[in-house]
Amino acid sequence: MKLVAFAFSGAVLVCTGCTGLKPVQPWEKGNLAKPAMTFETDPLEARFMEHIYSSKESVSGGSGVGGGGCGCN
Amino acid sequence: MPRILGSAILSAAMALPGLIPSAHADSAPESGIISLRYLSYRDKQPGLDRITVSAPSLYILFPVGREWAFSGSRVMDSVSGASSRYHSSISGASRMHDTRQANDFNATRYFERATLSIGAANSTEHDYKSEAVNVTGTVSSEDNNTTWTLGFGNTNDSINPVNNIVVNEKKHTRDYLLGLSQVLTPNDIVQASMTYANGHGYFNDPYKMVDNRPRDRSQSAILAKWNHYLEGDSVLQSSCRYYWDNYGIRGDTLALNWVKPLSNGVTVSPSVRYHTQSAANFYYDPVYDPLLGAPFPLGFLSNPTGFYSPDQRLSAFGAITAGFKISKSMAGGWEADMRADYYQQKSGWRWFAKGSPGLEKLTAIILQLGLSKKF
Repeated sequence: MKLVAFAFSGAVLVCTGCTGLKPVQPWEKGNLAKPAMTFETDPLEARFMEHIYSSKESVSGGSGVGGGGCGCN
Repeated sequence: MPRILGSAILSAAMALPGLIPSAHADSAPESGIISLRYLSYRDKQPGLDRITVSAPSLYILFPVGREWAFSGSRVMDSVSGASSRYHSSISGASRMHDTRQANDFNATRYFERATLSIGAANSTEHDYKSEAVNVTGTVSSEDNNTTWTLGFGNTNDSINPVNNIVVNEKKHTRDYLLGLSQVLTPNDIVQASMTYANGHGYFNDPYKMVDNRPRDRSQSAILAKWNHYLEGDSVLQSSCRYYWDNYGIRGDTLALNWVKPLSNGVTVSPSVRYHTQSAANFYYDPVYDPLLGAPFPLGFLSNPTGFYSPDQRLSAFGAITAGFKISKSMAGGWEADMRADYYQQKSGWRWFAKGSPGLEKLTAIILQLGLSKKF
C-alpha cells in the first residue's frame, strides 16, 4: 500500500536523521518558532475533532495515550 | 424516555490527555492560558435528523516557574436525538437524551532537554464510566532538532446499559506511544508516531440489535505529520495515518490544513480531510435471513453465538471533511475564533476493500466558538 510505504519511509527518513541534510542552527529557527509550525494545537479544539472522528469512524490512535473511553462505541 | 448510550454515537470532547508535545519543549510555557470553547454538532441521514450535541468546555494551563506546568479541562456534553438500531435503518430509531461530564488533569515537569508528564482523566455518563491515567516523557537532542516521545496509558471503563442487557461490564485498555519529531530544514518539521492499544472486555454496542464483538481488540496506528512554512508567512500542515486492528479494519486518513495570517491579527485556516476504511470481518451487510427477517444476518440460526455487527461505523466507507477557521488575536492576550466543518460519510467513497452496500450516507455539521486569554 502506497500510504503505508509513505508512512514507513517517512519514519525511516526521520530515524536516519536525514543524513543528507545539514542540522538547522538556532538562528535559523525563526519560522519554526511560529505557532502554526509547532505540532501543538488548541487542546479543546483538537479533542473535539478527535472525538467526533473516533465516535463516527472505527479508526483511532496515533496522537496520544490514555484518553479514556466513552459510551460511543 | 429511553436513554441510549451505544447510539449516542457522538460523545464529543472526551478527555484526551497525553498528546504528543512538540519539539523543543524544555521549559514551561511563559504564560498561562484560560480557554472557553463551545461545540455544536448535528448529524443526519436522508429523512432523519439524528444526533445533536451541545458541549461547552473549559481549559486552563498554569505554569509554575520554569520547571512546572499544570493543566486541566472540563467538558459537559448534552447529547440528544435518534439513532438507528441496526445499519442505517431509521424505522427502529429511538429517541434519547444523555449528558456527560469529562475532566482531565495534567502535570508536566520540565528538565533540560526533557519533559515528564502525568495525567488523569475521567468521564461519566449515566450508563458509562471511564477512568484513565497516562504518563508521557520526551527527550530532545542537544541542538533541539530531534525529540523522542514515549507514552503509556491505562483506561478502565464500566458499562451499565439501561436496558440491562449486561450489568457492570468492564473494559480495560492499555496504550503505548512512540514518537519522534525532527526539524528537517528552517522551513520543515516532521513528526512520526506509532500507537498500539490493547483492550479487553466489553466492546459491544448494547443498544444495537444482533451486536456481538470479540472481547479483545488490538489497534495500531502510524501517524506522520509534516509542517511546511511557505513564502508569504503561511504554513501548510499535512498528516497521513495508517491504521489496522484485529477486527480486520484497515484505515487511511489524510488531512491538509493551511494557516494563513492576514492583517490586524486575523488568521484564516481552510482544511480538508479524507478518511477511508475497510469493514470489520464480522460486520454484515443489510441482507437479512429470509426466515427471521431484519436485522438478523443470513445464516444466523446456524450460528447464533457468532460474532456479528450491523454497526455502520464498522462498515467500509469513505468520508470527507471540509473546514474553515477564522481567528483574531487582540490586545491583552485575548484571542477569539470560529470554526465550521462539514462532514459526509458514504460507502461509495471508500478507497479500497469491498464496499458495504445498502447504507445511507451520513452528514454532519460541526460548529465551534472559542475564546482564550493569556495571563
